[in-house]
Amino acid sequence: MTTLLTNPLRVGLRQERVITPQCIVIFGASGDLTHRKLVPALFELFRQRRLPSEFAVLGCARRPWSDEEFRSKMGAALAAEIADHPSAWEQFSQGLFYEPVDLQQADHLVRLGQRLEGIDRLRATRGNRTFYLSVAPEFYGSGCRALAAAGLLADAERSRVVIEKPFGRDYGSAQQLNKVVQACAKESQVFRIDHYLGKETVQNILVMRFANTIFEPIWNRNYIANVQITAAETVGVEDRAGYYENSGALRDMVQNHLTQILALTAMEPPGRFDAEAIRNEKAKVLQAARLANEDEPWKCCVRGQYSSGGSRARPLSGYRQEPGVNANSTTETYVAMKLFINNWRWQGVPFYLRTGKRLPKRLSEVVLTFRQAPVHLFDAAGGAPTPNQLILRIQPDEGAEIKFEVKAPGSGMRSRPVDMGFSYDDSFGEPSDEGYVRLLADAMLGDPTLYTRSDEVEAAWRLYTPLLELIEEAPWQLPVHPYEARTWGPAAADSLLGDDGLGWRRP
Amino acid sequence: MSTQLTLQAPLDVPPAEVHPYLDQLWNHGLEGTTGAATFTLLIWEPSWLEQQMVRIGRIDGPIRGLERNDLIEAARLITAECDLPFSTAPMDPRLAWNVGQLAGHHEAQDLRGQFIPNAISVHTPRRLITLVPTLDASLSLETMVAAYCPLPDEGGAGAACGDAIVLRGGMDALRQGLPLIQPLIDEALPCWVWWNSSLDEPPEMLESLATLPRRLVIDTSLGQPARCLDVLVGRIEAGQAVNDLNWLRLRSWRESLAMVFDPPSRRDALAQVVQLDIDVEGDHPVKGLLLTAWMADRLGWHLIDSSPTDEPGGISAEFQRTDGTTVRFRQMPVPVGLPKAHPGAIVGLRLICEPADRPALCVILCSESGGCMRLESGGMAAMELVEEVVPLPEENEEMEMARLLGGGHDTTNPLLAAAAPLAATILPR
Repeated sequence: MTTLLTNPLRVGLRQERVITPQCIVIFGASGDLTHRKLVPALFELFRQRRLPSEFAVLGCARRPWSDEEFRSKMGAALAAEIADHPSAWEQFSQGLFYEPVDLQQADHLVRLGQRLEGIDRLRATRGNRTFYLSVAPEFYGSGCRALAAAGLLADAERSRVVIEKPFGRDYGSAQQLNKVVQACAKESQVFRIDHYLGKETVQNILVMRFANTIFEPIWNRNYIANVQITAAETVGVEDRAGYYENSGALRDMVQNHLTQILALTAMEPPGRFDAEAIRNEKAKVLQAARLANEDEPWKCCVRGQYSSGGSRARPLSGYRQEPGVNANSTTETYVAMKLFINNWRWQGVPFYLRTGKRLPKRLSEVVLTFRQAPVHLFDAAGGAPTPNQLILRIQPDEGAEIKFEVKAPGSGMRSRPVDMGFSYDDSFGEPSDEGYVRLLADAMLGDPTLYTRSDEVEAAWRLYTPLLELIEEAPWQLPVHPYEARTWGPAAADSLLGDDGLGWRRP
Repeated sequence: MSTQLTLQAPLDVPPAEVHPYLDQLWNHGLEGTTGAATFTLLIWEPSWLEQQMVRIGRIDGPIRGLERNDLIEAARLITAECDLPFSTAPMDPRLAWNVGQLAGHHEAQDLRGQFIPNAISVHTPRRLITLVPTLDASLSLETMVAAYCPLPDEGGAGAACGDAIVLRGGMDALRQGLPLIQPLIDEALPCWVWWNSSLDEPPEMLESLATLPRRLVIDTSLGQPARCLDVLVGRIEAGQAVNDLNWLRLRSWRESLAMVFDPPSRRDALAQVVQLDIDVEGDHPVKGLLLTAWMADRLGWHLIDSSPTDEPGGISAEFQRTDGTTVRFRQMPVPVGLPKAHPGAIVGLRLICEPADRPALCVILCSESGGCMRLESGGMAAMELVEEVVPLPEENEEMEMARLLGGGHDTTNPLLAAAAPLAATILPR
């Protein structure tokens, strides 16, 4: 979103919930996420006056940094923001602390507990603690065990643990990790983060659907012909090859982000707006979701991998030529698939999901295509009337758009499609918060609405199990099709819809 | 939503034994539970209107101290009998005083302080202390104590419980009972003082209860306007965290007005305001002045002068914009047949902006009940007109209070802190 002058009458009007005195403990504090997302999000909350004065951030990692070093490294990472708000940083950074901790060392946890008690006294944080596991996924379980063994999760009201994605590698490992985590803490203390849910526009799917009467009556198999969910990135693997080689697009994007959007798009209306009611409905719809062909999953999924491309002036290397990537890698950087949801509302409506790297545009959107008018009374400019579409633009140019037919000017009665749009920029003109700002605030408030519950995570993994097994056991049946960088993926992905007489929306 | 489960019927305990009794209760009677680490809520709850209406038999008892629909309806009906204008709001303290002049001797059970509204109980107060003065000024001090636990969602162990203490009696008796209160307040927890009455009441009780660092909740629609604004400003200047229910009830007006100027295409017009008109119900100007002062503060207007209008009850003022242009302001009382519960509710607002190179923009906001007709008159046709109806949800005081408790609000809202002194200055004295 573009940044405009603030509406002076809007300042201070948001009814924000107030976070109780709090110490947020970040494990993996020397990692990228901490200085790129977490501390900037906390600083933003501080600037918005949403953090109480009794607040502290304790960074923990193996590196032997001091409090001052941690403050200075975080300060360097936020240099641009600090230049605009130096006094706010001065105040905020007084609440930044660092403790060298190896979660596998019991004595380190004892020392951590003592440090936290000291911070409680110093900053009056009253024992309210949010532990953020920004560590390698293989340490999620052992990290929780270590915290529990040290008694740091014993108070279910005052302690919480936030776990980054990916939560497991498949259905079995997710189940196992859930068991470990739930043995250490109550479900109400566990916050499995999916930063897509922190986006205003993702949350807006709920509001669009359930705060208006015009959409919900047609939000079903009687009116909707198909649904497309796209998350396209222009960037390649960048410096994440080590992680991405073991994950691929299916695990990195589909199982979490796209599946969460799918759940919000397809769920039944909750009885009330609270965390459990919403998560119940999301879990139910994910449990009802199936690959379009579970027996022959290769028929409903296409994998791709970007090859070199770009322009002569700015050539782009292929995935296999990226630093840190195996020259014979079969990791998918693109995946498209077809799903069905076996329930009353969605029976027979195909849901097409696609995501990829090095695609022509960076965008995320949900496209609901409505059924054709039963009788064509008018000539259409394009030969046949274009089906109505509702497009929910998640990023960029956040907003929504409805495509429908109108009479083309002239003496005849020809129809042609037009757009009616809503844009966050035009209506609100204010930048929305980064997803982590909302999600961190919610975790500290103990509000899990935008976090993923154990059964949701398991249902999401179970949905893709036939594909993951196939990739593991018979990868030749689900080959990785090369596609030129900055194109819309492999041709086989077009066939996935082409076989149904449809095509991907070209945004 | 957790339900309140009273563990015991409220028990009459002699004043001197309240503290020892509570110690015993928490140390022996409530094993397996812990005191909720939340807050203390200290309420001044005279409910004069409810007491008077019960006394004259216009509503049935028991007296509960909560805002009730039958009380509001009965109050609207009795306005004419009391020789007050139809626009008199049911909660206007003058109505309670006038009803007090009517004859009647009905009696009813007094259960004030013993009902905990759900909206408040979900926040699990650690301790509710309610002071309930009686109409009979000669009554001696009675104290009652009850413990309660929220019905736990899962299992029954470890519930965080609270207690409720009621101090009841004539004004003198309550004054004598004031020393009991301080030892009952856990200094480790925040303490809210809810002055649920007119600010015209004898100030010494407010002074005694609302000491720093307690957080104060008042309602500036109840009492003489000058007194209300002086209390508000005085407390803010003294560094107390003050919340004003009258200000909170302006929420939808502030939100609606901000919403009109959210689209960037209209932002410029905010710097070109030349006129602001506000209509209010009855003759209580504070709410309208707070809204005006909020706008003036946000838009950088400087007050030049204010005075009463020639027509009774109105206020006119002149502001200067940052570019030196004059902004004319006029607030007028409007007679209404069905006033809102609290005095001075806003009926409508008109803002005229005259951008240099575009047609003038007229923004009219009006309440559902009020309509916009009066504000639509006077040359609006030549302007770009934006009209919005401001929804006014029927929320009672307990809901507003619950919203405050849920939100923390450990400091005075900075918008209120900026608006209150300006509103006090606009009010002609």
